[in-house]
Amino acid sequence: MTPETPFGPDTNFVEPTRAVQAERAFQLADIAVLGAVLLAASGHLMIKAGLNGAIFAAAHATSVGRLVICLTQPLVVLGLSIYGLGTAMWIFAVSKRDISYVFPIAALNYVFVTVGGMVLFDESIPTKRWIGIAVVVLGVALMQSAGRQGAR
Amino acid sequence: MTASVALWASILLNGVAQVFLKKGVGHSNDDRVTGQWWLSLLGSGWVWCWFFSFIAATALWLLALSKLDISYAFPLLSTGFVFVAILSRVFLKEAISWRRWVSILIICIGVVLIAGK
Repeated sequence: MTPETPFGPDTNFVEPTRAVQAERAFQLADIAVLGAVLLAASGHLMIKAGLNGAIFAAAHATSVGRLVICLTQPLVVLGLSIYGLGTAMWIFAVSKRDISYVFPIAALNYVFVTVGGMVLFDESIPTKRWIGIAVVVLGVALMQSAGRQGAR
Repeated sequence: MTASVALWASILLNGVAQVFLKKGVGHSNDDRVTGQWWLSLLGSGWVWCWFFSFIAATALWLLALSKLDISYAFPLLSTGFVFVAILSRVFLKEAISWRRWVSILIICIGVVLIAGK
């Protein structure tokens, strides 16, 4: 279908071929990987924020009681939902890529959670940990340049 | 069960879970995500295998963490990347170039540095 412009039919429009559609799906998978990692990391941080705010009374001495308190914190519920959304994006990404490619990229999770912990909870990051973050990012960049393979 | 057994079981089970998931969702080139596709996943035995292994791995991880220092347990997670690479090569016939192997190892080193004291 040729799209209409205010000046008549778009003469420059070319119907996307199968190859172009596949390429789009491929790029979408890259965005999904990053989205899944970001959502998982923010979910974890939100759960942590919720647990920080939880108040445990003497009545919640048992592990079941503590679990109930944890799971009824609004931020914990929100964090778990965001984590679930991230898992859905992860499933989509896995369907488009080699698992040996996407799984190590999920290590970016540790990077985002570490930096998020510093920003949100004033956790300090020693130099060695910064080096680790740089090394993980380098590894992920190399992974990208080494080729994605998977469905083509 | 000792904490170490729980830790290693969690790491291995999590790796197996990822390979189950890949087996279940397969390879696709479609640039649309339909509700039908999501529903079809519910009918896949492999996806259910992923779901239950993932839950079990998470439970084992929490069990291990209740006994072990996170600074000890966390770097060991990175062995999971190598484990998944081996499994995906053997069971999914994924072609892993030497550059991908090197990238995986670099990511492992980074995780160990992030987690160490």
